[in-house]
Amino acid sequence: MRSSRKTVYFLNAYGVLVIVFLYLPLVSVFFASISKTRYLTFPIRRYATHWYLRAVQSPTVSDLVETSLKIAIIVTVISMLVGFFGALAYARYHWKYRNAFQKIIILPIFFPQAVLGLALLIWFNSIGLIPSWKTAVVAHLVWIAPISTLIIAIRAYSFDPALEEAARDLGASTWTIMREITVPLLIPGVISAGLFSFLLSWGNFPLSLFTTGADSTLPEWLYAKMVSGYSPLVPSVGFISIGSSIILLVIAYIAKKLVASVAK
Amino acid sequence: MPTTPILYLKDVVKRFDDFTALDNINLEIFEGEFLTIVGPSGSGKTTLIRLMVGMDEPTEGTIWLRNERIDQTPANKRPTCMVFQSLALFPHRSVGQNIEFPLKIKGVSPKVRSKRALELLELLHLPKSFYNKRISQCSGGEQQRIALARALAFDPEIIFFDEPLSALDYRLRKTLEKELVDLHERTGKTFVYITHSLEEAMVMSDRIAIMNSGKFEQIDVAEVIYSKPVSRFVASFMGEVNMFDFKCDSKGDIKIDGVEIRSSVLTKDKQKKYSKKAKGTLMVRPEFVRFNKAKETNDFQIRGYLRAEYELGSRIQYEVDTLDDSRVIIEKLREDRFKGKLGATVVIGWDIKHTHFIPND
Repeated sequence: MRSSRKTVYFLNAYGVLVIVFLYLPLVSVFFASISKTRYLTFPIRRYATHWYLRAVQSPTVSDLVETSLKIAIIVTVISMLVGFFGALAYARYHWKYRNAFQKIIILPIFFPQAVLGLALLIWFNSIGLIPSWKTAVVAHLVWIAPISTLIIAIRAYSFDPALEEAARDLGASTWTIMREITVPLLIPGVISAGLFSFLLSWGNFPLSLFTTGADSTLPEWLYAKMVSGYSPLVPSVGFISIGSSIILLVIAYIAKKLVASVAK
Repeated sequence: MPTTPILYLKDVVKRFDDFTALDNINLEIFEGEFLTIVGPSGSGKTTLIRLMVGMDEPTEGTIWLRNERIDQTPANKRPTCMVFQSLALFPHRSVGQNIEFPLKIKGVSPKVRSKRALELLELLHLPKSFYNKRISQCSGGEQQRIALARALAFDPEIIFFDEPLSALDYRLRKTLEKELVDLHERTGKTFVYITHSLEEAMVMSDRIAIMNSGKFEQIDVAEVIYSKPVSRFVASFMGEVNMFDFKCDSKGDIKIDGVEIRSSVLTKDKQKKYSKKAKGTLMVRPEFVRFNKAKETNDFQIRGYLRAEYELGSRIQYEVDTLDDSRVIIEKLREDRFKGKLGATVVIGWDIKHTHFIPND
């Protein structure tokens, strides 16, 4: 479609607005992190980078990163697996309770996370589980596995069910079909789902707050420090966290391209 | 016509919950023939082909391949294969890999596989350079040929086709129809083709099976189905047709409202098959109806006026409204064009030899 001049101006202005709205807060976090003073003031008068050094060297921060990473990686692996088979049940197989399954699975996504976290905490207590980073994995999965399932299901919907039937018709067994057709076609969706799962788990605060018990994740610590004991260490750590997410996104994008080119 | 049945369906019924998709199907498919199953959407032809290929099981009845019962055998264990309506080419595999897929499953070595794939590309008039192409780089007609090559690589006893040409444009479809006939002759395989297009069926098949509401109405060669249909449904499904209700009077003479019938026909016809009080349908194809010049008469005659004239390309179609408000369709070749004005009164007619009677059940 050809756009008129006015439309082009409007679209450009809109694009700039969106970028400002989405990224200005991040920029201010960055500025806060390079301030020399302990307190959050604006405009910043004296700059310093030593908070970044502190962030990297701090054993507390590395413990927090370790816990968050542990949770995020396990959540990612499990939600990719559960999501893959869940997506097949969601999109590919016609079974009696499919319709109900499709609705039930979406519900947890719409629960307010704080309520979900509290509910899970009560549930863990009542069955005698002591909250720790392990229970947080379960809590994250309740919310993230459905999202991962949906992402893979969208991919599963987009390819012709006749492909699997054709493979069977040409002599392939169920496992061969899985290996030769289903998995290769769903892989891009699985990678996207894994990426989402990781980032959602890594950045999750409300579920972790209720379910990590004595352990603490990075977002929990950031929140606690913001409430009391603020120093530019907080925005520094926050900014490192955002930076690593961006690096991960880039890596995932390259991986996806690579998989796609190998598959072809 | 070949006479050994290769596939045999006996009393096959398929129900989905309360809906009966196939109602007591009996069918013999002969080795090496080109059989086309034609029917309108929802007539059960796709359900039928899925049973024959093994993607579904019949609710009742049995299916036999030669002397082996196969109705419970899954698709991957049957020596038959299908070309899908959507073609179902694997988008993540190259053209060569698609064609080799069934061979790979059978455990054939890569060297033999690629040799066979190249042979099949040649058989289907595709250049060898296609071997490394991606499916998305191929046109509709090329994809069609690749799907066919993949089916042939499987070396099936029967190849089924589920309307694979329906998405293509007219010219390409015509070309591929003829290529299919040619391929059928060269490979000697049994082809079973389903379509809703009668034209496709007529061009390609040895036999045509007409399906309606989960049943076969008639199975025969094209010529017989066209000129001697067993029911009004078949008659109207096989192209334009004029049909009149007739009934016989107490003497056994045929009477049709608004149609003059020559008495010699009655005498001749009475010796045939009509009992007193019989009822049925008289059928005549548009190309056999004539515009009568003065003093010309036919066995059957109607007066009416010329209502419309349509160009059909090689032919011209006329619509004549009769005095009692029924409509007759007439088709003439261009060289026999009727030069009458619209609205003019005409006398039209046809002879008994072009007439087919369908008795009521």
